[in-house]
Amino acid sequence: MVLVTSDHPAPVRSRSVQRALPWVTTAARLVVAGVLIVAGWLKIGNPALSVRAVEAYELLPGSVATVVGYGLPILEIVVGVLLVVGLLTRAAGIVSALLMLAFVIGIASAWARGLLIDCGCFGGGGRLEEGQDPGYLWEIIRDFGIFLLAAWIVWFAPGRFALDSALGIAPEREPYDQADGLDLDDEHDADDAGDEAGGASDEKENG
Amino acid sequence: MGGKAARTSAARDQIRAQREAEKKREKRRRMVTIATAAVVAVAAIAAGAWYSALQSRSETAGADTAPVTVQADGSAVMAMPGVEKPVLDIYEDFQCPACKALEETSGNTIKNLAAEGKVKVVFHPITIFGQEPTKSNSVRAGAAARCVPSGQWLAYHDKLFEGQPSETVEGFKVEELVAWGKEVGVTDPGFEKCVTSQQHAKAQQDYSTKVLDSGAVTKGTPTVRLNGTELEDTAFRPADLRQAVLDAAK
Repeated sequence: MVLVTSDHPAPVRSRSVQRALPWVTTAARLVVAGVLIVAGWLKIGNPALSVRAVEAYELLPGSVATVVGYGLPILEIVVGVLLVVGLLTRAAGIVSALLMLAFVIGIASAWARGLLIDCGCFGGGGRLEEGQDPGYLWEIIRDFGIFLLAAWIVWFAPGRFALDSALGIAPEREPYDQADGLDLDDEHDADDAGDEAGGASDEKENG
Repeated sequence: MGGKAARTSAARDQIRAQREAEKKREKRRRMVTIATAAVVAVAAIAAGAWYSALQSRSETAGADTAPVTVQADGSAVMAMPGVEKPVLDIYEDFQCPACKALEETSGNTIKNLAAEGKVKVVFHPITIFGQEPTKSNSVRAGAAARCVPSGQWLAYHDKLFEGQPSETVEGFKVEELVAWGKEVGVTDPGFEKCVTSQQHAKAQQDYSTKVLDSGAVTKGTPTVRLNGTELEDTAFRPADLRQAVLDAAK
């Protein structure tokens, strides 16, 4: 948005910020979904080891650890798919945020207790170097970053390209939504008009 | 004029009522859509978890196991007489939790297949760990297993996984290792001294180095190879493992 009339510059700028917000949400959805789907996919072929991995944290009682071990990979994949297509976006964001919070707590607790979660049997070449850092800090930072993205998704759901919008089940009060009603056609028309205006201004710039 | 105003007002009321009804319908439609999507998602998760549990369901142990013959290099062959192929090589570390998970999940399938004469199993107990206390734990256990005669080897192997210590503490202490041997029926008078003196500790480490240098174990333990081909996750899914072995036997 370069085309700015001198009379009202401020509203135009805020409108462009408002237009960017849902795209940020879409990007956040894709990043969180990517992490969840890859994490789930790596575990889903080996349920026995998935259970073992949960047990390694020594935080959950045996039967609960078993259920979590079997259920977590598929949960991650389903939530990831929901985020990709933008269906039940806010709920999927909440689940993602809670998962990441649980991982952060689990890793921090394992670290504090001196547990070796990455059991060494699956290290590079199988031979762990002497004094090799299990990398807990990095994992905590990574998972906390994903937690923040998930929190963004919860706050600014559902973003662009979301089934929630297409099905008319998006959260009613969208912070970036200027239209007060739920009428999707109007919203889309407004967007299209805006895009056209943007395109025209770009052309002017180029010409 | 008054009549027209009344008509307009009535029309407005009607429109308002219509809008309200429309809103109510819309709300109901939203609830149904959300509930449907949520139910489908939860059902998919439940079905997936159920399927995962099925995939890792263990076989029950058969009445008999195939005879075990300890080799000169410390590996152990489990096969019915005359069965030479297919060959299932199992590289494992008694201290490795993932190896314990393999034994708990697929151990019975492996024993049953050998007893059925479908496969020749070769256990390769190695020491994969380079850090303490896991390294010494593993060497002690591996060296002790080398003191056990063929007749009790499999039972001792199972006992070691059953008694696997945490990776953060010193475990597989020599007293335990001696006691477990007697529990599984080792009567050899030299057994206790063989374990306590750690007579085979160097042989265990040399064999591990040899195996690791050979490239048979690239990703860590357990590594399961069927006729030389790594099975990866299949080894942890008993039904799939059985099928892979039967397919290889054709």
